Amino acid sequence: MIGFATLENSGFLFNIYIGILLAGLIGIVIISERLKPYLSALVVLLISFITSVLAIKGISSNGLEFFIPGGSFIGDIPLRIDALSAWFMLIINLTVTTGVLYGIGYLRAYKPIKSVITLHWVLLVLFQSSMLWVCMVQNSIAFLIAWEIMSLSSLFLVLFDHTDSKVIKAGINYMVQMHLSVAFLTVAFIWVYFKTGTFDFKGIGTYFGSNANLWLFVVFFLGFGLKAGFMGLHSWLPHAHPAAPSHVSGIMSGVIVKMGIYGIFRVITFLKADYILLGEIVLTFSVLTGLFGIMNAAVHRDFKKMLAYCTIENIGIIGIGIGVGLIGLGRGQNVLIFLGFGGALLHVLNHSLFKSLLFYSAGSVYQQTHTRDMNQLGGLIKKMPQTALLFLIGALAIGGIPPFNGFISEFLIYSGLLAGIQSVDIAQTTLMVVSVAGMSIIGGISVFAFTKTFGTIFLGSARTELHHEPREVSNIMLVPQYLIVLVMLSIAFFSGYFIDVILTILNGVFNVNMEVENIDFLRYSLVLQHISLYSFLFFAGIGLLFFIRRAITRKREITYNSTWGCGYTAPTSRMQYSGKSFTKPLSKLFNFVLIEKKNFNELKNNEIFPVSRKYSSSYLDFWEHWLINPAIKYLGLFIDLFKFFQNGRIQAYVLYGIVFILIVFIGTVFNLLH
Amino acid sequence: MLSLVLILIASFFFTGIIIRTKSISSGRKGPGIFQPVKDVWRLFKKGSVYSETTSFVFQIAPVIYFSSVVMAILVVPFGSTKGIISFDGDFIFFAYVLALGKFFSIISAMDTGSSFEGMGASREALYSMFAEPAFFILMGSFALLTGHTSFFEIFSTLHLGSYITYALGIMATFVLVMIAMIENSRMPIDDPKTHLELTMVHEVMILDNSGFDLGLILSTGYLKFAMYGTLIANLYIGELSLLYAIPAFFFIQFAFAVSVGIIESFMARYRMSHNPQFIFALSSVSLLIFLGVLLVLGKFV
Repeated sequence: MIGFATLENSGFLFNIYIGILLAGLIGIVIISERLKPYLSALVVLLISFITSVLAIKGISSNGLEFFIPGGSFIGDIPLRIDALSAWFMLIINLTVTTGVLYGIGYLRAYKPIKSVITLHWVLLVLFQSSMLWVCMVQNSIAFLIAWEIMSLSSLFLVLFDHTDSKVIKAGINYMVQMHLSVAFLTVAFIWVYFKTGTFDFKGIGTYFGSNANLWLFVVFFLGFGLKAGFMGLHSWLPHAHPAAPSHVSGIMSGVIVKMGIYGIFRVITFLKADYILLGEIVLTFSVLTGLFGIMNAAVHRDFKKMLAYCTIENIGIIGIGIGVGLIGLGRGQNVLIFLGFGGALLHVLNHSLFKSLLFYSAGSVYQQTHTRDMNQLGGLIKKMPQTALLFLIGALAIGGIPPFNGFISEFLIYSGLLAGIQSVDIAQTTLMVVSVAGMSIIGGISVFAFTKTFGTIFLGSARTELHHEPREVSNIMLVPQYLIVLVMLSIAFFSGYFIDVILTILNGVFNVNMEVENIDFLRYSLVLQHISLYSFLFFAGIGLLFFIRRAITRKREITYNSTWGCGYTAPTSRMQYSGKSFTKPLSKLFNFVLIEKKNFNELKNNEIFPVSRKYSSSYLDFWEHWLINPAIKYLGLFIDLFKFFQNGRIQAYVLYGIVFILIVFIGTVFNLLH
Repeated sequence: MLSLVLILIASFFFTGIIIRTKSISSGRKGPGIFQPVKDVWRLFKKGSVYSETTSFVFQIAPVIYFSSVVMAILVVPFGSTKGIISFDGDFIFFAYVLALGKFFSIISAMDTGSSFEGMGASREALYSMFAEPAFFILMGSFALLTGHTSFFEIFSTLHLGSYITYALGIMATFVLVMIAMIENSRMPIDDPKTHLELTMVHEVMILDNSGFDLGLILSTGYLKFAMYGTLIANLYIGELSLLYAIPAFFFIQFAFAVSVGIIESFMARYRMSHNPQFIFALSSVSLLIFLGVLLVLGKFV
């Protein structure tokens, strides 16, 4: 790595990267089917290595910049790798690497046709590169192209199981929403172009310097927010994640939604004014996003859908950090910038780790049981102990529970909110206190949601007879998950190193001199060191107590018997508390957000004797039910008014053509169109 | 260090006093004050029965539950002496460490595959979730008032400004007492003496625990009570010298235990479906404290 890093010319490294990418793509197509997964993994690893070297150079040298020729239309495309891009690039590389390793094992269970498998691996490699480009490219047109490649490649990765109509439907939903996102971004970039005359991202800064900041930021926020899955813009997530194969959903939830966060961060770096207002908007919106996401996560029985909603919750937490940071920029308080943006950036990394871990272990469950309905499962901890342990670690970490990494970033964000309480503005004080309360509810429901999911899937005894006995998954699927756990623990116990990197990013990107108030950062990094130490002692204490317990109880008499049935002597496994019954009190309380749809036939007056009947219930998404579906319905009704154009008569279609040509002709002659 | 020792001492007699109060108010003599501790000691010496359905989660959960409360106790200060652990924002650590214990006690209940224990688990998870915002708004308000974010600094500087903060302290006492009742599954929320599994919260979760594990869980409950009692005592002790602070501490713990006993004797448990509303209403008391803090700081002008 050092050998590379001393090379002066980063463009040279970039050329090597492009070479590997092209050779890899061709190689994956022509190589024999058995070797395709391994070659793809190799290509992903090589690309990860080279681009990570570039990224590390970007962090250490305060930003790289080079240009690649983009033809006469776009001109030279600037590639800039500053610390912000680098941070996201490293996250992408880490997640895609574990994803591709896990995917090798995961896809072994499938025996689809050859072309699908080839397409899958080609797209996976392309997917990684497109995300890397999104982080590097700083020209609007090239950025949109990379963005589009990213969306389309992930779309086709989602459509892996293309014979299932539900998957196709989820794919179309995803495609439409991603193009809405592109539409917003295009509008925003064109707006900047007309005001400043440049496609370079620097133009955004020029624009913000001389115009109102609010509205352009809102348009960008809508565009990137669709990708990130902020509330109201989120409705693709709960459909696309369950439909995709698990390693793809792990990568998508781990990093593709973070590209939206990257975009928001990138726009924030160009902002010049209105920080406080924007911060308050983002903060409020994010608290609501977090609450909405985790409430929905708590009630759903499809465990991949549950994880998708949980992603929305974590986007909310990241957004809270961003809001705090923005308010810090407005107030010129570096501590707030550090705690807010720093917490958000660290949470981006943390979430990409534990969410991909959760998706992978959930995918292992799906691979073995072929169901995503947790109420059909139970007792898997005995059949798949390692997967259960990995899921448990992920669940603890995502709840922000201390010995794990989630706590570190949530602690930073909490500290940011608490530091922000001290304000002359009473509105900000109140907002911060309410946000603290909101975060605590999010944390509480998160414990609720994950105890339910873990308990229902892995604990108790099996609720239904499965087609075949589930077994522990292969090592190639377990190793990447252990790798993730290792990185997670390193963040939990050596947080100081990561905080240093984040400080470099904030110093380089936000042009705030973080050295001035050094004493504050020192204080917080000391606190984090303490937390790491205490977490470690906590672990040790638990171990010691467990050891004592073992030593004492070894001499005692131990008997095994069936679970205490409270006097009932013929229990069956169907009588266990299910996930649905676990969350019923919560969903009843929040029935104004969590809309339950029940399907059953009402009992009639004259029906005395019981016959077999069906009952099913599911939860509808609030925004989809009240906003998106009605909007689409009325749009459809409106467009139906113009149906008479499409009447199936060729003569009429020819007439339309003639009318159009005539309009163009007359328009040109009389110069009307100009 | 001092707080740890004091909490340990208080936990020895706390539950005994509650039971004694209940006995006296119902016209009985009742067991000795150290009976709960003797119960735990007896349990430690007993063998165990495990359900065949359970896994390793059931074995480690009591240990983690106990350790999490001990860890939380280490954070709690005593007047002008720090807890063993003290840093900015340590009350977040406090709340989240307790959440770890709760997480494990919930999943250990689900590990038995029982139709009743999951019910208790669901309720416990729901109620403690609702109690969180009350605690965080309370601590956030005190952070605003004092300008500090660690337990020690908040409690030791709480009353430096004016005496009106004692009024806030009384409201905070109410919130903390109620949180303690929720976290320990005591009367207005849960009836520890009920005999019907359907109406239990905490008791039904530990139906299958026995022997050493049950002893650990019970002693965790005693520690938790003493811990919240210490938080309440801290609201008043402030900068008092140890000579007065320690008797004050024991008096407050005693008063707390007696009032818990009296509440349990003269109140019925709320309807299960009304519990969440009641707990959520606690947050509004916390919001009142927040408004009070804004008034004290003169932000409303």
